[in-house]
Amino acid sequence: MVVIASKTLLEVLLDVDGITFGYEQQPLLYDVHIQVRKGEMVGLLGPNGSGKTTLLRLVSGVLRPQQGKIILDGRELRDWGRRGIAQLIAVVPQELHVPFAFTVEQLVSLGRTPFVSLFGSGSRHDTLIVQDAMHAADITPLAGRIFNELSGGERQRVIVAMALAQQPKLLLLDEPTAHLDIKYQIDMLELVQRLNRERVVTVIAAMHDLNLAARYFPRLLLFQRGVVADASPAEVLEPRLLKRVYGVNVQVGILRGAQHLSVLPPGSAVGDDERQWEGEPQVLVMAGGGSGELLMRALADASIPFIAGPLNIGDSDHTLALRLASEVITEQPYAPISPATLEQVRTSLLRMKLLVLCPVPIGPGNLSLLQAALEAAHSKITVLILAPDSGGAQVATADEVLQRTGIAERDYTNGEGLRLMRELLQAGASVVGSIAEATEVTRRHVSLASSNS
Amino acid sequence: MRLATQKNQLKQLRGGLRALPAPLLLLALCAVLLFVILIAVSFGSTPIPIGTIAQILLNGTGLFHFARRWDPTTEVIVWQLRMPGVIGAALVGSALAVAGVLFQGMLRNPLADPFLIGTSSGAALGATIAFVLPFDTIYGSFSLLRPLLAFVGAILSVLLVYAIARVGGETPVVTLLLAGVVVNAVLVAFQTLILTLSPHAQFGIVALFNWLAGGVAITTWWPIVVVGAIILAGVVCSLLLSNVLDAFGLGEEGAAHLGLHVERYKLLIIILGSLITAAAVSISGLIGFVGLVTPHAMRLLLGPRHRLLLPASALGGAIFLTLADLLARVANPPDVLPVGVFTALVGAPFFLYLLRNSKRAYRW
Repeated sequence: MVVIASKTLLEVLLDVDGITFGYEQQPLLYDVHIQVRKGEMVGLLGPNGSGKTTLLRLVSGVLRPQQGKIILDGRELRDWGRRGIAQLIAVVPQELHVPFAFTVEQLVSLGRTPFVSLFGSGSRHDTLIVQDAMHAADITPLAGRIFNELSGGERQRVIVAMALAQQPKLLLLDEPTAHLDIKYQIDMLELVQRLNRERVVTVIAAMHDLNLAARYFPRLLLFQRGVVADASPAEVLEPRLLKRVYGVNVQVGILRGAQHLSVLPPGSAVGDDERQWEGEPQVLVMAGGGSGELLMRALADASIPFIAGPLNIGDSDHTLALRLASEVITEQPYAPISPATLEQVRTSLLRMKLLVLCPVPIGPGNLSLLQAALEAAHSKITVLILAPDSGGAQVATADEVLQRTGIAERDYTNGEGLRLMRELLQAGASVVGSIAEATEVTRRHVSLASSNS
Repeated sequence: MRLATQKNQLKQLRGGLRALPAPLLLLALCAVLLFVILIAVSFGSTPIPIGTIAQILLNGTGLFHFARRWDPTTEVIVWQLRMPGVIGAALVGSALAVAGVLFQGMLRNPLADPFLIGTSSGAALGATIAFVLPFDTIYGSFSLLRPLLAFVGAILSVLLVYAIARVGGETPVVTLLLAGVVVNAVLVAFQTLILTLSPHAQFGIVALFNWLAGGVAITTWWPIVVVGAIILAGVVCSLLLSNVLDAFGLGEEGAAHLGLHVERYKLLIIILGSLITAAAVSISGLIGFVGLVTPHAMRLLLGPRHRLLLPASALGGAIFLTLADLLARVANPPDVLPVGVFTALVGAPFFLYLLRNSKRAYRW
């Protein structure tokens, strides 16, 4: 937090403001907010298909967001125009294949394209910038060589030099070390770090290698179709969080003062240990729209493992659940509960002892969840209905209990939700009036269950 | 061993040529072209000394007044019989070579040629229609109709390919090539259908065969002037796209990152390339390999920068086709063989040689 406070003094270079994007109909990125200040060096982490590359393409203006806007240096991206963007942003791809035998110097001078007239050639000034870019990337001795005949590591340096010839304020790198061996990976990241420090080039890089990312990037963004975590490496590289996002067991150790990660494959001794400590989840939390936030935090604080879901991508509860829950049942943004997801909920419920319903508005899209809850109540699973602001008064009649759940105000199904809630209460579901009470009941149930078995 | 020395020689040659300043190189190519043109005019049923040709041509400019020490018919042969054909060949050669550079640069594929996206079959269909239409039997001449329909056919087929390939505001290269294949197939089918069904086909079929095999059989100046104007304008416009084509070498996304409106330039390049190809095809028929081999050879010798590659290819293509046309005329006199035969006979082995000697450079 201190870090962020000291950086608010610096100007915001890039403001990604609530962008949504998807290929075809399926949203890939949903309501993404990111702010990057001048001179920052940001690493973008996330599994394959998490939308890292798509985010970079949106920022470089190759793709346009379907919703939201991207503000670059105080002006909306699309107002800059293609050429204007190219004068501010340079992109280093994973790998560049050039079909023709360009020399290194010719290729680096292509970086001046956004600045020279399309029909003319570069001036003396441009030549100096090209020389300087080659010098900065340490490739001056390669100037006359054919690009295609260089090694992978040398080629990446040439591409960085070409990007530098654009004299960008923002440098985007898409997994720049993906095809390099360890020596060139380090070389490459050292070079980028030097440029960031000496030339104050703001850097955003998608990274595969968590260790290198931790080593070189002071700020990491963990990405899973949205920003799941945005903080320093020590905070982002947390085993539970990484396990949920990447789906593998990892252990974080400290090595020679720098944050160091070692990724262990599932099934290894350490992975089993962790699972035992954590225990099998026996609680399912149905939440959404922030209604489950306090409960999920309370359960995590009490070290009670739980499953959360189904939650829509982009829902604040979804982001939180990725951090806190043992397992998250995920649904597409804005989408109603699909049959497949419902089946997943039913299967999960077979393993559960307890189901907690948070006060979520009930509409046609999620009415099926109440039905699933009713089935669960009938099959001897304890169902808790969370109604935090209902007070702790003892009530007698069924109608009063029903009123306590607050279902009437959040039922948008013409009474169908109300009817299911009434049946649920008749089937033995109980109403809990506070988070503390819910946590306590949960703890009792879970410990009871584990001592029984 | 021998291969290695050959390679070294090529490398030295390449290094030497690349070290030369560009204007000097282009000037040298101009000189070669001029020389080749003079030779091409001098050969024929009645050989004419090069000196005489030079004097006749210089007199033609109106600036020089050499004394006439030659037969007046020689002057007619030079100006009316041989020059139109030779200049036509040079124009067609340079048009095809420049179109080849444009398409290879845009598609990032050194194996692309000007006929790749529908020009050839469109032109062939146009020409076929001209051959089977009854006008030629009424007026006894189809010299106007044939180039016109070939030109229109080529342009229309490229527009069709482009329209088919366009998906959601973009024209991916793969779709473009596939659409080219499909349109080619359909147009060839139509051509076959017309030839089979038309009652006039038997008159035209030999002439059509000759046209398809390629040849610059022109003995009047006005088509040269019209086609030449289109080709020269196209080549000059192409030169203005040098930087764009260089940037396309990085791929479409790479070019976009350098600030180019990729789709707009792609359309512009397609239009330019097709326009000059169609203009060339309208007077020459289908001549293969010039557009494929010339840019290739020039790139190998002078490097891939389009600022130099485009003008060099224009001159190189002109030289190549003028020579091929000369061979076609003198190989079996008095018959004129189709030029396409010679460009293929010279071009194909040369192309194979290039392919086998530089495997690395030809990945997609």
